[in-house]
Amino acid sequence: MSLRALPALLLRDLRLAVRHGGESLMPLFFLFAVLILVPLGVGPGPNLLATIAPGMIWVAALLASLLALENLFRPDFEDGTLEQWWLGHLPVTGLVMTRLLSHWLITGLPVILFAPLAAQMLYLPDQALGVLMLSLLIGTPILSLIGGLAAALTLGTNRGSVLLSILVFPLVVPVLIFATGAVAAAADGFSPRAHLGLLAALLVLALTLVPLAVTAALRLNIE
Amino acid sequence: MIWKTIKVGFHRLGSAPSFYRFSTVVSPWLWAGFALCSVIGVYYALYVVPPDYQQSDSFRILYVHVPSAWQAMAGYVVMSILAAIALIWRIRLTEIMAMMCAPIGAAFTAICLATGSIWGRPMWGTWWEWDARLTSMLVLLFIYLGIMGLYAAFDDKRKGARVACILVLVGLVNIPIIHFSVEWWTTLHQGKTIRIFGESSMHYSMMPPLIWMTIGVKLMFGAALLDRARNELLTQDRRKGWVRKILSNKGD
Amino acid sequence: MIPELEYAVYVWSSYGIFAVVVAWQILQPVLYRRRLMAELREEQALQSGEYDDPNP
Repeated sequence: MSLRALPALLLRDLRLAVRHGGESLMPLFFLFAVLILVPLGVGPGPNLLATIAPGMIWVAALLASLLALENLFRPDFEDGTLEQWWLGHLPVTGLVMTRLLSHWLITGLPVILFAPLAAQMLYLPDQALGVLMLSLLIGTPILSLIGGLAAALTLGTNRGSVLLSILVFPLVVPVLIFATGAVAAAADGFSPRAHLGLLAALLVLALTLVPLAVTAALRLNIE
Repeated sequence: MIWKTIKVGFHRLGSAPSFYRFSTVVSPWLWAGFALCSVIGVYYALYVVPPDYQQSDSFRILYVHVPSAWQAMAGYVVMSILAAIALIWRIRLTEIMAMMCAPIGAAFTAICLATGSIWGRPMWGTWWEWDARLTSMLVLLFIYLGIMGLYAAFDDKRKGARVACILVLVGLVNIPIIHFSVEWWTTLHQGKTIRIFGESSMHYSMMPPLIWMTIGVKLMFGAALLDRARNELLTQDRRKGWVRKILSNKGD
Repeated sequence: MIPELEYAVYVWSSYGIFAVVVAWQILQPVLYRRRLMAELREEQALQSGEYDDPNP
């Protein structure tokens, strides 16, 4: 069983995202829209902004990852490509993982890359910056995995988008708590290790279980 | 021999017409049991049990709050077991029953949140406290609503039920994690909130109404589940022969 | 007859909410079933030609 087709699928997804330039930059625009609107809303006081910075950046990252979910599997579902996944010789779970990886590269990675800028804009203390980046690095893949699961579950419905956010919101509660907890602990000068460790445990759990659930959900939807 | 009878009976129950008959007979009895238990329970709770020395009479809210909270969680466990059976053996009846657990569970979660909030007002001085139990109950409510929404969004009900069953199982893995994370979060963000009742502070004289109400609520869950499952079965099978037969029998 | 409770408003409104939700759990299936049965009977009447049109 050759897995050489998986990088090809990844490259294709990324190329599509790049060529749809505007659309794939949406998560980033969204992140900065939130980051600019929040100080305008709560006032420019550095102390207040510094306290809410971890939460704001994380909520923005979470909402940004929701944006691209609608079209994660839908085009392939509608033109019948998804059914070919089961007919081909490749393991479907591998294809699912590849698709989720490309979603993370498109929505998660830009947010991580621009997080230092966002942190500066919200006066996050410098000693917390590294932990913020690390928490995003561990946490955003979980967001992609859970988002992918919600996208797969709602695939057969017509009004996916509202449902998507209702399904995602309860499942990401732990991620949000541990990630912002890590950053807040680091900002206050405490060790963020416990939070980051738990976040990493969540990532391992999500990596092992979610692809199976996504595969099962997709299968039921194309039946 | 007995085992075989049980097995055959179970398989018979899986067929739509026999389940319809079974639930028509059983559900009124469950409702009657609930009525009896709750009348005894409420009588004890409001008249017999002495007021608490700290909370005076406000602790009487416990007798609707705690059984509802237990049932909100037990309902999820029942739903998960049914969902697992539905996904593994593809029994249609368990799919339907798993889906019908969600609105009832959501109702109990809502009772728990509302009464908890009302209880919190005189005791904590606020309607809402970001307490671990309250927060995780709120998240549980949203999980229930998500399951209901997902099932309702499908035109093909069988497909919708199976997809929503996957969500039920995902939620089962997640609920303990959510509960733990929220507990962790509240202990970090605020001092321990007032413990309403510790391990041993519940006097035995306060127990009987709690037991009665808990049994009553469980019977009610079963009764409502059978009623709803029966209706859903009728809706899905509206073009089938056995529904026609029931209709023509009723018409006479 | 009605017990004199402290915090009576809170206690009674809690029990009231419980009663209302329980009542809804009883009523919803009954109402739904009644509507469904009427619908099914109408459908059957239409098919067997016994439908008696209320506004001809």
